[in-house]
Amino acid sequence: MNDDDASRLDIEGFEERSVKAIMEARTPEMLEEQRIRFLGRKGEITEVLRSIVRLSKDERPVVGGRLNELKQRLNALIEERKALLETSDGDEEPFCGDPTLPGRRGWEGGRHVLHRVLADIKEIFFGMGYSLATGPDVELDYYNFEALNFPPDHPSRDTQDTFYINRDILLRTQTSPVQVRYMERHTPPLRIIVPGRVYRNETPDPSHAAEFLQMEGLYIDTDVSLADLKNDVTFFIHSFFGSDAKVRFRPHFFPFTEPSAEVDMSCFACKGEGCSICQKTGWIEIMGSGMVHPHVFRYAGYETDRYTGFAFGMGIDRIAMLKYGIGDIRRFLANDLRFNSQFWTEIWSGVVE
Amino acid sequence: MVGGGGVKVSLEWLKRYVDIKEAPEVLARDLTMFGLNVEEFHSLFPPLKGIVYGKVLDVRKHPKADRLSLCRVDVGGEKILDIICGAQNVREGLGVPVALHGTVLPGGMKIKRTRIRGEVSEGMICSEIELGIGRDAEGIIELDFEEKPGAGIEERLGSSDYIFDIEVTPNRPDQLCHVGVAREIAALYRRPLRMPECMTLETGAEYRLVIENGNDCPRYSAAFIDDVATGPSPGWMQDLLLAAGMKPINNIVDVTNFVLLELGQPLHAFDRDRLAKDMIVVRRAKNGDALVTLDDIERELDGRDLVIADADKPVGLAGVIGGRDSEVTDSTRRILLESAMFNPRLVRQTRQHMKIETEASYRFEREGDIGITVAALERACLLIKEIGAGCPALFHADILADPALVGKRKITMRTRQVNRVMGTHLSARETVSLLERLEIKSEISGRDVIASVPSFRRDIKAEIDLIEEAARVYGYENIGREDQSGCNIFSHISGDDKRIETVCNYLVSRGFAEVITSTFMDPGDPVRMGWLERDPRCNAIRIENPLTEAQSVLRTSLLPGMLNVARRNSLSEREGIKIFEMGKVFIPAAGEAGLPNEEMHITAIFTRSVRPLNWFGKQRSFDYFDMKGELEALLGRLGISQEIVLAGGGEGTHQFVCNWLLDSKLIAEAGVLPSSVARIYDSEHQVFYFDLWIDDLPRAGRDRKRYRQIIPYPAVKRDLCVIAADRVMFADIRNVVKREAKLLEKIWLFDYYRGGHLGEGKRSYTFRLSFRSSKGTLDDSTVDREIGRILTALQRELEVVLREE
Ligand SMILES: [Zn+2]
Repeated sequence: MNDDDASRLDIEGFEERSVKAIMEARTPEMLEEQRIRFLGRKGEITEVLRSIVRLSKDERPVVGGRLNELKQRLNALIEERKALLETSDGDEEPFCGDPTLPGRRGWEGGRHVLHRVLADIKEIFFGMGYSLATGPDVELDYYNFEALNFPPDHPSRDTQDTFYINRDILLRTQTSPVQVRYMERHTPPLRIIVPGRVYRNETPDPSHAAEFLQMEGLYIDTDVSLADLKNDVTFFIHSFFGSDAKVRFRPHFFPFTEPSAEVDMSCFACKGEGCSICQKTGWIEIMGSGMVHPHVFRYAGYETDRYTGFAFGMGIDRIAMLKYGIGDIRRFLANDLRFNSQFWTEIWSGVVE
Repeated sequence: MVGGGGVKVSLEWLKRYVDIKEAPEVLARDLTMFGLNVEEFHSLFPPLKGIVYGKVLDVRKHPKADRLSLCRVDVGGEKILDIICGAQNVREGLGVPVALHGTVLPGGMKIKRTRIRGEVSEGMICSEIELGIGRDAEGIIELDFEEKPGAGIEERLGSSDYIFDIEVTPNRPDQLCHVGVAREIAALYRRPLRMPECMTLETGAEYRLVIENGNDCPRYSAAFIDDVATGPSPGWMQDLLLAAGMKPINNIVDVTNFVLLELGQPLHAFDRDRLAKDMIVVRRAKNGDALVTLDDIERELDGRDLVIADADKPVGLAGVIGGRDSEVTDSTRRILLESAMFNPRLVRQTRQHMKIETEASYRFEREGDIGITVAALERACLLIKEIGAGCPALFHADILADPALVGKRKITMRTRQVNRVMGTHLSARETVSLLERLEIKSEISGRDVIASVPSFRRDIKAEIDLIEEAARVYGYENIGREDQSGCNIFSHISGDDKRIETVCNYLVSRGFAEVITSTFMDPGDPVRMGWLERDPRCNAIRIENPLTEAQSVLRTSLLPGMLNVARRNSLSEREGIKIFEMGKVFIPAAGEAGLPNEEMHITAIFTRSVRPLNWFGKQRSFDYFDMKGELEALLGRLGISQEIVLAGGGEGTHQFVCNWLLDSKLIAEAGVLPSSVARIYDSEHQVFYFDLWIDDLPRAGRDRKRYRQIIPYPAVKRDLCVIAADRVMFADIRNVVKREAKLLEKIWLFDYYRGGHLGEGKRSYTFRLSFRSSKGTLDDSTVDREIGRILTALQRELEVVLREE
């Protein structure tokens, strides 16, 4: 057989093309088209049959037999496929001719990034045995300052510019007033976190907001120590920012804790080398903390010597800013959905192992 | 030097009192970890770029200007530079700093090649003041070291002094001076502290000093200087003052400022000859008293203000600022130097209502060291004598309200408590040596320690304050982590929190974007919203000191804030807005001590396109039933199965708003915003909303829920088409159907039609009813009886009839 014959009598090629076309037909009409194309009177098979004459006498019956066999097989396949297409409940073709057309969707939504971050933080503390407590935004001066050992007319109050409703009522400048409120109603051991909005009378700029989200933690029992505080705070930072974060506690002053400590963690961006995020120090201030001051116990009505405890507090806005590289705190309340929607995809603000 | 909660100290100045070998960055880090947070430190004079060593080869007179010289200076390049110099001390062979072409000096002056009276100058030979590294403007700097001409010498010109910006917390006024910071450094590195030298003054000066009230002024000390000769203070003193950020004025004022920055005690110098009857009275101001203060402002005083007065009139505001008329001037001959302690609250009060903050007031407010008033005078007198500013008298005056105030406080510190708070295992002896480093002497008594706290540590009042100091010196970093916390407390779930989280996450899954808006509201918002006067939302709580008028009340509804969000996002071309907020609103109440009710609301807004632009259907805007469906589904999610009653249209413009009542209690408001209101918030589109009072909803209660058996028998479905008059509502019919049908499982409305061929005032409703019995398969006759009962009741109660085909 010469090359010419071989190309004309490519039976395998013909079989492959025709079977594929039949199986891909999605409607009886499309199937009929394919039947005509391959098996019709002017179809491809007729072409092939005609070319048999050019073969040797010995070959003709063999090839002819094979072709007849194939023709029968294809007819059977078409019948089978036709039955399948016709019996599928008479469904219309579901793709409108194009399965790549976009699907029917509504608006997408998502949580606000601050609440997402808060939810992740809460989850870590719930796992550590902390429970949730809340308190009012509009607070008595007594709980916000006095019971937290800020004496009236004392410069320590200058560190927190305050919105006043009147002489005795203000917008809380911290979530700490809930400490005393909670202690008044509960007896140790107690272990709570307190998220909530707090207010400072500061002109907003990229790093200061007049209202922001804070979260407080409090643990009181008969023998809670500074070492325990270091444990819990370090545990949280490692859970949230990764166990390679270094944590340091440096002495500080808060009226309602003593000893007090600022908590810094090594900068996650530069790993302590110094960069713009950490203002070249290699450290990032993450929260304030300390041992509950005996005066606070006294205000809460506890015997001061019976219990010890620790408290800590962090700004959720600040943590979200650090975590996602948000440069302007005012973005959070502006609610440009082009901003908000950046945090809708499945993200975890904590560490995912 | 102070303000913003910090102090600026000079490293060179600190070195007068304690040895410091550490590099500035090491010192900064160590101080920070010791509790003195160094916010920033920098070289006093930042080195300049582009200053090179030059050698003056020869000097000749400028042909056209007597005072100028033409110099040829070798700066290392191939070419020797011609530089014109005006200084008298320029001479051949001198090593000098040269600013080359292109260099910008600290004053902003840019050095360029230039021509002065016909002669070329290709650079500048600099003086101290030109380089910003000193006060000398007279001559050029004569470098006292040899260098290769052209070598950069920035490093060698810069000052060796560093300025540290240290955060000082309000409890530590003792750190607001160089000796105070040096004392901490001495404790940190266990080095001796060198107190500055003083002159010894004797008590018993004969002077009329009257203190009206010992509470207002617990101590007043005064020294007297004769033969005063005012003039500039010596260079070393000016350098140190400038380094710490204070401007030199004259030798007397500079000494008082120097002692302030050294020991932290504010001093004030009065021109003694200006004090009427040569006397001092510390008293409250009388109404009508006035004083022109040093800043040239005439101030009216009242009984709140504590003043220093002479026989006739106030001459100073105690602890805040002096009076202009008794100020030290060039003609002053005799001085009274005041060193006192005033009641911090009075100083604060006067400072606040006079709106003036001074170095003195900042320290007095924080209650300085009552024990140091005389020592500060003794130090000042020595300095005045040494620099020849006057002749201090040997005697001083001193009135102390209560001698106990200057004594050392004795405080017991229990070793067990130290270890309990710190989580350590220290012995009493170890705690003694920790406190020792801070100049707190203590003795062991049994297992515990009795500490004597010096007067400069007013902040240490109780045991816990000592424990903190011990912990700080011991080092927080050394407090162990091997002590695992012995916590065995379980977390319990807060039902309220869980419910809110569930609702928020549910709404998100329904395609809502969560927003968080401000608690503050514009007092004009209730009017803009069209709420009637008696609406509780019109009665918003005012802030006494708001940021702006538009943020001066607390929100009574989340709607105004959310409408602003909708508006801003429409401006950024968002096609559809479907947002919600979970947040508090504040309604005045006669609750606990006048605190308002804080109600948690979930509010949602729907406006513009119901879904993104698409190919499969006609685009349309949100409508009432889109909103209502979401609220119904949400209530379903919350397990609210009780009947909700919709109280018809709201009042006034709010006619298309319904109140949703549960057991006759308002739980939600929902509807469409009046278009007049929507337009105020820049919306041309209809704005639908619901506002849900989430706190008032009954709790589903996790314990009450029980699994219900699934009925294995088939349901029977019947369709029912009825005609009703316009006054009859869907809910009326549904309620009758539900009440009458005993076996009704579910009811759907699947067609609704008004007017048209039915005739004016008529509507038709088509229901599909599904019946099912838990007892067995229903037969037709049972269902027929159900239908019959329903129709009879509908006809009787609502005149609703079956539609004839
Ligand atoms: Zn960094």
